[in-house]
Amino acid sequence: MPTVTFLPSFRKAVVDREGTLMEAALNAGINLNVVCGGQGKCGKCVMFVKSGVAEFDRDQFGRFFSPEELESGACLACQTRVIDDASVFVPESSHIQEQKILIETLGLETEFHPSVWKYPLVLNPPSLDDPSPDLTRLLWGIEKKGGPREGKIYAPLEVIRSIPRVLRDSGWKITATVALVPGGYRLIDVEKGDTSSRLYGVAVDLGTTTVVVFIRSLVDGRVVGVASNYNKQISCGEDILSRVNYARKGGLAKLQSLAAESINTAITRAANQAGVDREDIHEVVIAGNTIMTHILMGIDPAYMIEEPYVPVVRRYLTAAASRVGLEVKENAGLFIFPAVSDFIGGDIVADVLASGMSESSEVSLLIDIGTNFEVVLGNRDWMFSCAGAAGPALEGGEVLFGMRANPGAIEQITLDLETLTPAYRTINHEKPRGICGSGLIDLLAELLRACVIDRTGRINTVIAHPRIRLGPHFPEFVVAWKEETGIGKDIVITENDIKNLIMSKASILAACITLMNEAGISRNGIDRIYFTGAFGNYLSKENAIIIGLIPEVPLERIRTIGNGAIEGANIALVNRKKRKQLDEIARTMAYIELNATPSFMDEYTRGCFLPHTDLSLFPVVEKMLDECRIHRG
Amino acid sequence: MTIRTLTDWTGVVGTVMLGATAADGGTRSVSYTLGGESDLPFLGDPPSGHIPLVAFELCDDPAIWPAVVREYAGDLSNDPGKWAKAAEADYGADLVRLSLTSTRRKDFSGYAALKTTIQEVLRKCRLPLIVEGSNDPSIDSEVFAVCGEAGEGERLLLGTAEAGRYRSVAAAAMAYHHAVVAQSPIDINLAKQLNILLHEIGVPSDRIVIDPYTGALGYGFEYSYSVMERIRYSALKGDTDLAMPMISAPTDSLTVKEVRDAAPAARQDIAVKWEYYTALSSAIAGAAIVCVRHPRTVPLLKDTLAALWSGQTPGKV
Repeated sequence: MPTVTFLPSFRKAVVDREGTLMEAALNAGINLNVVCGGQGKCGKCVMFVKSGVAEFDRDQFGRFFSPEELESGACLACQTRVIDDASVFVPESSHIQEQKILIETLGLETEFHPSVWKYPLVLNPPSLDDPSPDLTRLLWGIEKKGGPREGKIYAPLEVIRSIPRVLRDSGWKITATVALVPGGYRLIDVEKGDTSSRLYGVAVDLGTTTVVVFIRSLVDGRVVGVASNYNKQISCGEDILSRVNYARKGGLAKLQSLAAESINTAITRAANQAGVDREDIHEVVIAGNTIMTHILMGIDPAYMIEEPYVPVVRRYLTAAASRVGLEVKENAGLFIFPAVSDFIGGDIVADVLASGMSESSEVSLLIDIGTNFEVVLGNRDWMFSCAGAAGPALEGGEVLFGMRANPGAIEQITLDLETLTPAYRTINHEKPRGICGSGLIDLLAELLRACVIDRTGRINTVIAHPRIRLGPHFPEFVVAWKEETGIGKDIVITENDIKNLIMSKASILAACITLMNEAGISRNGIDRIYFTGAFGNYLSKENAIIIGLIPEVPLERIRTIGNGAIEGANIALVNRKKRKQLDEIARTMAYIELNATPSFMDEYTRGCFLPHTDLSLFPVVEKMLDECRIHRG
Repeated sequence: MTIRTLTDWTGVVGTVMLGATAADGGTRSVSYTLGGESDLPFLGDPPSGHIPLVAFELCDDPAIWPAVVREYAGDLSNDPGKWAKAAEADYGADLVRLSLTSTRRKDFSGYAALKTTIQEVLRKCRLPLIVEGSNDPSIDSEVFAVCGEAGEGERLLLGTAEAGRYRSVAAAAMAYHHAVVAQSPIDINLAKQLNILLHEIGVPSDRIVIDPYTGALGYGFEYSYSVMERIRYSALKGDTDLAMPMISAPTDSLTVKEVRDAAPAARQDIAVKWEYYTALSSAIAGAAIVCVRHPRTVPLLKDTLAALWSGQTPGKV
């Protein structure tokens, strides 16, 4: 089998003959930037073959490169087959870089009603006058301390086995841990001495790409540690579909253990930061999308991606955390958020909980934007939800100079409407390397205001301006000249990029409008719009309306709730009353299958226009566009 | 029989004037007002609006023209001026549509010849004229400028604007006071978007004729029918972005498999029938102008439309 040497790190890996460079890179522990999951669509996993034998189809994929780059061996790692030993150079930009992972939350205040308690007890040793058994003695002690009644607490066998020794070794000074589980109370641990101050719980957002963990004290509810990292399953496929396909090919166990490992890594990091022993973590609450939670629980997701798209389980799940491989206290409880459907998972239920929309009489529209989007509309009495694919454009995929929110990404842009000179801000104030989603939305809105593009997004090449030019394939607008950039190339946005962005935004707007039509609600009937997820946090609300990503409502009605999934998981961790509402939220939420809604395609086409075909739905934007047109003559 | 529609539509299809007579400074023998309908097609006694017009379509380079037409027209097809005259005098068409197929040739540069051809057609035929220009963005601007100028004062209908290339034809239409065909691919929303784009660069509504794109009967026609119906409904319901008259050009109906594979003796008849039924259905769907390419289709269609318009049963086809 051929060996591949990766430069400049000189890491080596063996790969099957005709295996891809990407597989070799994974074997070498190199995390590549693969937005499309290795389909040769995103052009991000660039490598340069320096020597050796590897096959790369330039006819099909050469379009990502200039002739000079091809000359120096440029290829896409996912599409290059290794025939014999080779050495390849991996540019910095092909590595996954530190991404802004969203752990900012609203910091909602919620009441503190934990589901796990510690009772420090000093018991009287048994005597001939007081011969009650050890367990009874212990449970009475709990009851006397204000805990649940003795007969209400279930004691599992492994805890009972540990009791006689712990009681006597500690001189009858012990701490009992009791958890509220479905069906009643459970004695989950008995420790020597008074450990009552060491009681922690973990809230987890298990995302397809990232994992975020909060450790909280369950004595007072305080946050003691926060950490995040990539979901290690990325090595088995970037997007959710490729994960399910991986599971189908016998990879479920590996995906399951990678999910647990990803959570463990984040917990360890947060615990170390907080000085917490993982053995003192007695509860784990996880919100994730339906497929992620199925995989974590070791439930086969294979049938969820086929018609009629049914999950195995929708209700909330509980188990001992150790059973899925989480390295916390052995008997610690695990609570998994309930889901609504295959495509509306516990993460969205958590978003809803975090937004508070399920407790309000106001009608809210909650939007989670990513490659896949989810939309929920409703209030405490009713809720509709839907999900769909927006394509990767808003996350920087399928856009020539699109990138994720990594350092050097242009995240904010304004155009001088007279000179068309852009003013931009990049992440970490580095030289620009590309444009991330929030920057792309700004750019689209600004180009529209400047009348550089028409409402279908086509660039008006009649305008004579050095920034407006015919690119190799499409007309394009130069955002940054190569002298300004960190990549030695002009950063441009092409008409094709704009088309992809418009198709993405149209699907999200069409989903919102489809739900509004189902519910008979006009844009004026929306009291709140909540953006959740990383994307919503950095985006300009005004520009999101100008391009018609969301229905037009007064700006003050739009809120971003940051990472709603982790926020919701936190709430459920510390407030059992809210946790009890989750199943009800999941049940209330009707799922609308967009593909089965005939008007959706019509709405989509109507949305493939900036901001929308019917400007009466966007009166403020209409006024703004009129002014811009008058201004431009 | 009068059918009363049980709706309370208040919208009216807007009007577009085609052709300028001497009174308007042109040289056409007649001018037409398209549109003005306040009801569905052919309803009411008399029906609202105007009877659908039949345009005979010819070209300046018959190489890519349907074989059945070349066969039937013979030498005439090589002389656009004479052919246009025949359309008026012999076929009885209401309008002529001149398709500048010469512009489809590779490396086209015969702009001067285009001008001559258009002027020749205008001189030999006094009917209002539709000119169908190039469909290549790299020559559009020059071609439409030539078309616009050659027909100045005649109130032509210039085609075709599409979402991807509308600026050149719109600019020529505005500069020389012509109307524009706005074509979108069988989708009501795309039709509306194109009209908005044209508005936004200054083309007024009374100079836009919607071409919703017509597939031949048996080759997607039902989609076109449905879109035309929806466009008319939207206009009647007050959507001013869609309240323009429509033109239908089922240009593929003479090259469908059934015509190509027909026995030589029957081919002309089948071709005419195919075109006739497609065009008639388009008129019933709401087209104000139907374009046909076979000379024999013209009188057939005109008779049927006149009969339908007056509430009689049409004769034998």
